[in-house]
Amino acid sequence: MSNGRPTNHKINADLLRPLNKPGPGWYVTVVVSGLVVAVAAVALGYQFSRGLGVWGINRPVFWALDITNFVFWIGISHAGTLISAILRVTGAEWRRPVTRCAEAITVFALMIGALFPIIHLGRPQFFYWLVPYPNERGLWPNFRSPLAWDFFAINTYLLGSIIYLYLPLIPDLALLRDKSRGLLRRIYGTLSLGWRGTQLQWDRLERAVRVMAVVIIPVAVSVHTIVSWDFAMTIRPMWHSTMFGPYFVAGAIFSGIAALILAMAVIRRVFHLEEYLRPIHFNNLGLLLLTMSLIWFYFTFGEYLTSWYGNEPGEMAVFNSKISGVYAPLFWGTVVCCFAIPAPLLAIKRFRTIKGTMIASVLVVIGMWFERFLIIVPTLTQPKMTFNWGNYAPTWVELALTAGTFGYFVLLYSIFTRLFPIIAIWEYKEGLPLGEHGEPTIVGTPDVEYESA
Amino acid sequence: MPEPQISVFDTRYEAVEALHELQRQGVSDSAITVMSSEPLHLETLALPKTRISGFAIIGGLLGAAFAIVLTVWTSRRVGLVTGGMPIVSWWAFGIIIFELTALGAILVTLGRMIMEARLLRRPPVIGQDEAIANGKIVVAVRR
Repeated sequence: MSNGRPTNHKINADLLRPLNKPGPGWYVTVVVSGLVVAVAAVALGYQFSRGLGVWGINRPVFWALDITNFVFWIGISHAGTLISAILRVTGAEWRRPVTRCAEAITVFALMIGALFPIIHLGRPQFFYWLVPYPNERGLWPNFRSPLAWDFFAINTYLLGSIIYLYLPLIPDLALLRDKSRGLLRRIYGTLSLGWRGTQLQWDRLERAVRVMAVVIIPVAVSVHTIVSWDFAMTIRPMWHSTMFGPYFVAGAIFSGIAALILAMAVIRRVFHLEEYLRPIHFNNLGLLLLTMSLIWFYFTFGEYLTSWYGNEPGEMAVFNSKISGVYAPLFWGTVVCCFAIPAPLLAIKRFRTIKGTMIASVLVVIGMWFERFLIIVPTLTQPKMTFNWGNYAPTWVELALTAGTFGYFVLLYSIFTRLFPIIAIWEYKEGLPLGEHGEPTIVGTPDVEYESA
Repeated sequence: MPEPQISVFDTRYEAVEALHELQRQGVSDSAITVMSSEPLHLETLALPKTRISGFAIIGGLLGAAFAIVLTVWTSRRVGLVTGGMPIVSWWAFGIIIFELTALGAILVTLGRMIMEARLLRRPPVIGQDEAIANGKIVVAVRR
């Protein structure tokens, strides 16, 4: 350290270490998550060969764990791009080590979430029939359907999030190019688009990222709103609600922040980035999580109060099944996981530590998955016509696929951390105080060289 | 094109001093290229005006126009009535128009940024990448 500022060499060495020497924790994570994905792949293959009958879905429950996973992962995707964009637009300086961790979550969570409507088609090989392009089959998407809105919203958000992740990555890709050899140098060189770090390039990059941040925020909000409209546009009990849009968005940001805290805590531990992902980051994200916990409870209470007060028989059947019926353990478990424990835990400063925010985040992620399930399944098992009521229990195939989504997410995220710096190096350096002579960096010994593959 | 004169500095302070000296000698800002591993936000160096924001708006308008053509024109051609809604349902189409407006803005922002930042082109200075990666500031002048 010099002038209170870590040297350029130290920052580069610390933040490129995961790429060079990821450590045993990384390998264990990849192997375990890879095994979970392998089991899920077997289940998926079995489903493709036998058809959707191997799932527990049947009349009247045609959406269950698959759409639960879809809504859950699209919600988790709000961790990244949205939070990163809000922090950038508001100029929150503490965002710097956080943004890329968050943006990567968005891309991978969206990729996983978007898989489920395709898997649920039954014949996923024909998913491209959803794409509006001239064809000889006489097929054309119905643009008045919320499912078509999903297609446009998710793809816009996915593409926008990839670009939003990629833009601030370009200078770090150039750094990797300059510190690697062989094939990797060529790959990073291509990806960095010939970046040389001229002030014109920096200025344009920062401008483009700002514009992107402004554009991506309404897109992110629209995505989960549209996902909520998949339900709210029907007249099913406890779905046909005007507040479903903001309710879903609040829940998405809530679960997204929890996922981000968990990812940061794991990265910090596995890659020994304690100097970069500090308690202050967990404290600030913990405060955001607390805010979202309160907002989530407010929306949930408002949603259920409205149903109870209306006392409409169809609504009350679903309401009662959640409050005191067969789904009551899940419902009250959700309340405990999303509000009763996290809110007091995060409200007390003494508990808003890394461990405290991690515990709260684990509970929130579990609780929000339950919440997505509770939104979907109870309503479908109890349609307004009582003769048509049914039950639902998941099969091993659905459970394996659900576990596989978590494994796949961890695997993708782990691979990303091996290939790209998980903390934006240039953004981190930019946020450091200047030395007494205004030096942006202090040149020490030559930096570590990133080994060629 | 003549080869640039290159100076390498350890600190921002030294680089700014050198820039002032160049400007005192009458060297125009357009002839000076400053390269670094992080943005320096040099107030002394004037950069060409950016039009990224304006192009983002144009991209958004193009995206909206495309969405209108896609939804309205094709729905009229197919002529499918669902849910008692009119063939051209602006409430429903508005959502797709919104998404493609944003997509247009995003794609044009990316394209314009690559163009204005002069990426995918021959680098202004060759052979200084390692110094920049190691935190040095490179000032190149073409006279």
